[in-house]
Amino acid sequence: MKNIKTIFFLVLLSITLGCDKFVEVDLPNSLLTSQQVFDNPQTVRAALANVYTKLRTEGVLSGSLSGGGSSLGLYADELINYSLAGTPSDGIYNNVLIASNPTVLNFWNSAYNHIYCANSVLEGINSSNNLTESEKNMFKGEALFVRGLVHFYLLNIFGDVPYVSTTDFEVNKRISRSSVSNLYQLIIADLVTAERLLMPTYLSSERTIPNKAVATALLARVYLYDQKWSEAAASATAIINNPNFTFNQDLNLTFLKESATTIWQFKPQLANSNALEGTYIFTSAPPPSVSLRNELFNAFEPGDKRRDQWVKAVQGSSAVYYHAYKYKQNVSTTPSKEYSVVFRLAEQYLIRAEARAKLGDLTGALQDINKIRGLAGLNNSQASTISAVLDAILQERRVEFFTEFGHRFFDLKRTGKISSLSTVKPGWDINDVLWPIPETELLTNPLLKPQNPGY
Amino acid sequence: MIVSLMQVSATTFGQNVTLKENRISLEKVFNEITRQTGYNVFLSSDQVKLSTTINVDFKDLALTKAIEKVLAGLPLSYSLEQKTIVIKEKEKSLMDRIIGVFANIDVSGKVVDENGQPIAGANIRVKGSSQATTSDSEGNFILRAVEENAVLEISYLGYQLKEIKASKNIGNIKMELAVGKLEEVSVNAGYYSVKERELTGSIARIGSKDIENQPVTNVFATMYGRMPGVNITQASGAPGGNFQIRIRGQNSLRDDGNDPLYIVDGVPFSSQTIGANQTAGFAPGTTSPLNSINPSDISSIEILKDADATAIYGSRGANGVVLITTKRGKVGKTAFNIGASTSFSKITTFTDRMNTVQYLAMRAQGYANDNITPYPTSAYDINGTWDKNRYTNWQKELIGGTAKVNNFQGAVSGGSEKTQFMLGTNYRTETTVLPGDFRYDKGGVNFNIKHGTDADNFNMVLSANYNVQRNDQPTTDLTEISRNLAPNAPALYDGNGGLNWDNGTWENPLAKLQQEFIGKVNTLVAGSVLSYRISPVLSLKANMGYTDIRNVETKVSPYTIYNPSYGLTSASSSIYLNNTTRYSWTIEPQLTWKSKIGQGNFEGLVGTSFLHQESDRLVQFGSGFSSNSLIYNLASATTRSVNVSDKTVYKYQAIFARLNYNLKGTYIFNITGRRDGSSRFGPNKRFAEFGALGAAWVFSNEAFLKDNGILSFGKIRGSYGITGNDQIGDYQYYNTYASTGVSYENSVGIQPTRLFNPNFGWESNTKLELAMEAGFFKDKVFATAAWYNNRSSNQLVGIPLPGTTGFTSLTANLAATVRNTGLEFTIRTVNINKKNFQWETSFNISANRNRLIAFPGLESSTYANTYKIGKPLDIRNLYQYAGVNPANGVYRFIDFNNDNQITSLEDRKFVADLTPRFFGGLENQLKFKDFSLNFLFQFVKQKNTFFPAGIPGSAINQPTYLLNVWQRAGDNSEYQKFSSGANNETLTAFYRYADSNGALTDASFIRLKNISISYDFPPIIRGTARLRLYFKGQNLFTFTPFKNGDPELRFGSFLPPLRVGSFGVQVQF
Repeated sequence: MKNIKTIFFLVLLSITLGCDKFVEVDLPNSLLTSQQVFDNPQTVRAALANVYTKLRTEGVLSGSLSGGGSSLGLYADELINYSLAGTPSDGIYNNVLIASNPTVLNFWNSAYNHIYCANSVLEGINSSNNLTESEKNMFKGEALFVRGLVHFYLLNIFGDVPYVSTTDFEVNKRISRSSVSNLYQLIIADLVTAERLLMPTYLSSERTIPNKAVATALLARVYLYDQKWSEAAASATAIINNPNFTFNQDLNLTFLKESATTIWQFKPQLANSNALEGTYIFTSAPPPSVSLRNELFNAFEPGDKRRDQWVKAVQGSSAVYYHAYKYKQNVSTTPSKEYSVVFRLAEQYLIRAEARAKLGDLTGALQDINKIRGLAGLNNSQASTISAVLDAILQERRVEFFTEFGHRFFDLKRTGKISSLSTVKPGWDINDVLWPIPETELLTNPLLKPQNPGY
Repeated sequence: MIVSLMQVSATTFGQNVTLKENRISLEKVFNEITRQTGYNVFLSSDQVKLSTTINVDFKDLALTKAIEKVLAGLPLSYSLEQKTIVIKEKEKSLMDRIIGVFANIDVSGKVVDENGQPIAGANIRVKGSSQATTSDSEGNFILRAVEENAVLEISYLGYQLKEIKASKNIGNIKMELAVGKLEEVSVNAGYYSVKERELTGSIARIGSKDIENQPVTNVFATMYGRMPGVNITQASGAPGGNFQIRIRGQNSLRDDGNDPLYIVDGVPFSSQTIGANQTAGFAPGTTSPLNSINPSDISSIEILKDADATAIYGSRGANGVVLITTKRGKVGKTAFNIGASTSFSKITTFTDRMNTVQYLAMRAQGYANDNITPYPTSAYDINGTWDKNRYTNWQKELIGGTAKVNNFQGAVSGGSEKTQFMLGTNYRTETTVLPGDFRYDKGGVNFNIKHGTDADNFNMVLSANYNVQRNDQPTTDLTEISRNLAPNAPALYDGNGGLNWDNGTWENPLAKLQQEFIGKVNTLVAGSVLSYRISPVLSLKANMGYTDIRNVETKVSPYTIYNPSYGLTSASSSIYLNNTTRYSWTIEPQLTWKSKIGQGNFEGLVGTSFLHQESDRLVQFGSGFSSNSLIYNLASATTRSVNVSDKTVYKYQAIFARLNYNLKGTYIFNITGRRDGSSRFGPNKRFAEFGALGAAWVFSNEAFLKDNGILSFGKIRGSYGITGNDQIGDYQYYNTYASTGVSYENSVGIQPTRLFNPNFGWESNTKLELAMEAGFFKDKVFATAAWYNNRSSNQLVGIPLPGTTGFTSLTANLAATVRNTGLEFTIRTVNINKKNFQWETSFNISANRNRLIAFPGLESSTYANTYKIGKPLDIRNLYQYAGVNPANGVYRFIDFNNDNQITSLEDRKFVADLTPRFFGGLENQLKFKDFSLNFLFQFVKQKNTFFPAGIPGSAINQPTYLLNVWQRAGDNSEYQKFSSGANNETLTAFYRYADSNGALTDASFIRLKNISISYDFPPIIRGTARLRLYFKGQNLFTFTPFKNGDPELRFGSFLPPLRVGSFGVQVQF
C-alpha cells in the first residue's frame, strides 16, 4: 500500500510540475504588445487615430455640450445655461467653479491622457526599427503637434501647468508646474519641430489628419498669444498664401466637410454622423440646454450675414431664443455633411491683422479685417488708431468665432479686457481668469501647490 | 412458581449430587453442588450467566455426570482441577460458527420522529461493526443476521443518537430532537467535510431552513445578519442588482479585489461581471453571474474564513471562500414538493422632502441672498413658468409603486440506498416599484443523481443546474430624480395621455424609462464527483465541473428619451448590444486516505486542480433607424460599429494537500497547503505556495471535565497560515495596446491599455485565529468567540496617480501592510424545549478593525493625503466644521495652518473612520405545536456622510430639516443660508461642508430583516400530503437616526432595498 501511495504522489507531482506550461496564455486577439504596434506603420496610424478620436470626444476640443466651445462660452459671455441650478454647467455659467467641479477634472485629466498617448507614440517610434524615416517623421510630427496643442489649451485655462514630455509615471507623478512663458517656449519648440517634420500634403483629402499647414496655423495662434507679433504674422501669411485654403462666398458652406477654408477638422465617429456641435440646435423654446446670450446676438452689426446664417432664432411663447447655427445637422445624414472644424482660414486673417496692428501696420491690419468683414457682407472698418483697430479685431473675432472652442474667453484674457465680463456676469471675479487645479490633483501631487488664487 | 424437592445426602461430602428442581438458576445449582460435594465452582468467563435457569433432576449422580448435564445446551465446558470445577466458554468448532450465523437474528424496526412521523434515510448501524442500513420512506428498516445481543445505533441529522438492543422486531424507535445541534452537523470544507465538533478552522454556515425562510431572489440576501464576520450590503433595490460581500473586512485596497471565491457544488464559479458598461441597467454596476443561483435550490452555504479553512484554496482564498451546495435527493419513497408564493414589495424608505410652499420659499430666499433679480429665465419653478400651486409627491409617483413577485417551485426526490435523485424546477417573475411594465423573470431546472455500487466502493454524483433569466429594466434610477425634482414640476402626462414636456421646460422623468435594458442570461453549472475506494484506507476521487454562461444584453435609446426641443428623429435612436459568453472547466483529481495511526485517526488528502476559463465579449452599436419600432433590429441601423470584441483566457493550476490527525476526538491537528500557478501573473511570478496549520483541543473530553453537569462541550482552536489573491484582471503584465473600436479615417484606434508595470506578483494575506467554543447544560447554551488578526501585504492596488501621468491609477504591488483584526461572538440558547413548544435564540456580533500598519514611503507617495499609518483604510480626511457664521450665514471651518484661507491640502485634518464599528443579528425561532415563528433583527453601527444633491436654494428639492436655516445676521442656526448656486462663497462653503465632519451622520440601524410565520396542517391521514401555509417578510421595520434614505445604502441615492411581504403554500406528498 505504501508503494501505491508513493507512486501516486509522484505521478501527481510530475503532472503538476510538467504542466507548468498549462498556465501560459497567449495574448488575446484584441490586444497588441507595444513592440508590435510600433513595428508597423498601420498600427502606429491606429494609435494616432485614437488620439484624434479622443481629442474629438473628450475635453476642451470636443464639440459636445461638455466640451470647450460650450463650457467656455458659458463661462464667458456667449451662452445662457438652462440646466438646473446647482449642476456642474451651472457652476461654470455662474463663474462659481470649485476645485472639485467634474468639468474641471475632465478637462485636466483628458488633456494629460491625450498628452500621454502622444508621448507614447513618440517613444515608440524612437525605439522602432521597422519604420522608414519618412514614416517616422510624419508620426513624430503629428504627435508633437498634438502635445503642443493640448498644452496650449491647458495653459490658457489653468495658467502654470506641468509640461509633460515622457510616459514615465515616476517622473510625471512628481512633476511641478512650469511658468507660462516657459510653457510657450516648450510649445513653440514642439510645434516648430512638428512643422518641419510634417508633409505639406494632407494624408486624407478631408483634412482630418494634421499636416504642415495645421502646425503652422497653430503656431500662428501661439505666437500671437505669446505676443511674438512678427512670427505670428509670418506664420499666418504662410497659410493665407497657401492655395489650398480659399473662402466660400456663401457662409452656409463654411462648416461643410468639403469647405476649403478648413485647415483641420475632426471626422465624426460613424460614417453617417455629423459634427458634435449639432447639439447646439434646438427647434422649440425654451431651450433644453444652452442658447446664445442676447448680448452676443446684439453684437452683430446690422446686415452681418453671419448673424443671418450662423445664428437661428426660435420663437418661444414669450420670448425669442437663439442658437448657434454654424453646424446645421443635429442628426445623422447619409452621408455625413459636417465635420468639426478646429482651424479655419478666417482666424489666420485675424491673427495677421492683430499682429500687424501691434507691429504698427494699420493698413495691413485693416486689409485683413476687411477681408473678413467683406465676406460677412459688411462695410470696411472705420477704425483708425491702433486701439480702435485692436477693438475692431476683438469685435470681429467675437462674431466670427462664437461658440468655437473658447476663442472669446481667451481673447478677452489675453487682451486684458476680461474684467468687462463683470458687467454681464454678476458672479465674475478677477480670480476667475484661471480655473482651479483639480482638487484630487493637488492631493496626489502636492508639488502642484499652490492652488490658483481664489479657490 | 417454583416447585422444588430436594433430597440431600445428610452424612458426609460425597462425589455424587442429588437435586431436582425446575427453573433453577445456575447460581443455585453451583451453590448446591459446592454444598453437597465440597468442590468449589470457579467461573473463568464472564460469559457464564449465573441467572440462566435450567431444569435439573439428578438422583445421586456422579459429579462429573451432573456437571455435564448442567452444562448441556450451554456454550460452556468445564475442567476439574483438584477440588475446583472450572467453568469456561466452549471453544467453537468451525461447524459451531457456521451454525452460529444461522442462529443470528433478522432485526426490523421503524424509525419515527418526535411526532411519530416516519423518518426516511436514518442511518442504522450495528455498534462496533460495519453492518449498516438506512430507513426507507416509511421509516422501516431491516438488518439481517445480527447477533442477538448486538446494540444498534440509530442516527439522523438533527436528532440525538439512539442506542437500542437488537431484537427481532423492535417496533417503533422514537428519535429525540438534538438539543445542541453541534454533534451531528457535518460541515463542508470544500475538498473535505468535517464534523463541526472536530473543526479546526473557522467556517460559518447557514442551512436550507434559514434560506427558505426568506423571500429573496439573490443568494447574498439570505446571508444578512446570520453569519458572523460576513458583512453584506446591497447596492440598490433594483431587480437583478448587485450585492457587496466583505468577509472579515476589506483586505485589498482595490475595491474590486475583495471578492471571495465562489464554489457551487465543487465547481468554481467566477463572479467577474458578464455585463458591459455600454449596456448597463439602472442597478449600479454591471450584470453579475451570481444572480443565476436560485436560493431555493440551496441546501447550505458555508463561508470559510480563517487560514485553516482557506489556505487549501491558496491564491484564491484571501478574501474567504463561499461554498454553495445545492439540494440532494434522499433515500426514501419518491417525494413531491410543490410550493407557490406571491410577494408584494415597496421601497423601505421615502426621504422627507419639502412641499411646494416650503420649496418655493427656499428658492426665493436663495435668489434674495444672492441678490439676483429678476429670476433667471431658466428658473421655471419660481419665475412663473410652472404653476406655483402644483404639488406632486415625486417619490410616491416615481418609485412608490408596488412590485409583485410570483414564485413557483417543484421538486421530486427519492431513491434507494444505492441511488438517489432529485429533480427540481422553479419559476419566478418580479415586477418593479417604478411606473411602467418592467419585469425580471427567472426560471430553471436542477437535477442531481447519486449512485453507489453494491459493494459501495464506487460512487458517482452528477449534478446540473440550468437557469434562464430575462431582466427588463430601465437604465435610469429614478430615485435621485424623485428626491430632487421641484414639487411644483409639471404633470407627467398631457391631456392626450402622451408624455408632457411642458414646452421643453423640464426633462420628463418617464421619458428616461424608455431607455431600456434587457438582459437575457442562460447559465449552466454541471459537476460530477467520481470516487473509488481502492482499499478501506485509500480512495481516489475526481471532481469535474463545467460552467457555461451566455448573456445577451441590449440597451436601447430611442430619440424620444430626449427633450423634443432638440428636434431629433429616429435617425438619432440607437442600440447597444452586448454578447458575452463565458465557459470554464475544472478537473480536480484527489487521493484520500484514512487510517489509524497510534491511538488516533489519520486523514490525508492530496490533489491537483486545473481550471480553464474563457470569456468572449462582443459589444456592438447601431444607430439611425427609419422607425423606433425597428430599434431592436441591428440590421436596420444605418450605422453600425463594433465597440468591443475581445477574448480573455484565464488558466489556473494547483497542487494541494491536507494532513489531519485526530487523537480520540480531543486533540486535532490539521495542515493544509497549496502550490498555485495563475496565468494572471508574469512568467517569473506565476507560482506561489500557501499553507496553514490549525489545531483544536476539545478540553471537555478530558477526564477532569468529563460528566460534569454544567459544561457539556468545550473546545479551543487556533490557526495560522498564508493565503493569496489573484483578482487583478487578466493580461495585466503585458504592455499592451487595445482596440478602442472607434475608427478615424479608416483606421480603428488602438490605445495603451494601462500604465505598464511588469513587476507585480501575488499579494499575500497572513491569517491568525484563536477561538473558543463552549456548550453548557447539554449544549442548551452554546457560545463561540473568535479573535483574528489578518495581515495583507504586498497588496496589488490601483495606486492613484495625478492626472498628469495620463492615467488616474496604476496597478502595482504596494509595500504596505494592512491589518484586519476582529472579534466574532455567537451564542445560541435553547430557551424552551417542550413537546409542544420550542424556542431557540441565536445572536451574533462581529467587529472588525482595520489598520494601516506600515507603508514605507507613504509621505512621498500619492497616498500621502489619503492614508495615515495606524488608521483604517476607509478614512476620510475632512475639514473641521466650525458652525455657521452668525454674521453672514456661511459655514465656517477650522483654518489649521492659520494662513487665512481654507485649502484642501492643509486644512482637511479631521480624520473620520467610516468602517462599520460592529454588526450582527439576533434571531428567534419559536415553534408552538404546528405553528412556527422565526424572526431576525439585523444591526449595524456605522457612520456615513450625507451626499446632498446640490446646494439648498438651487432648483433641487431638499429635506425639511433644512428649514432651520440662517436667515438674518445674528441667527445661530444649524445650516447656512440658502443660495441659488450663483454665489461663490456659499457654494464653496457648501461643498466644503459636504467634505467636513459636519456632514457626518450616524447611519446605524436595527432592522427587522426577516420574519417567517408558518402553519403545518396536521396530516388528515397518516403519510399523505402535508400542507404548510406561510407568511414571510423582509425589511419590515427599520430603526435608524439616518435621515437621507435607507441606511444600508452607503453610496449615493440609489433605489432603496425593498420591504417584502410574501404569502405562500407548500405541499409535500
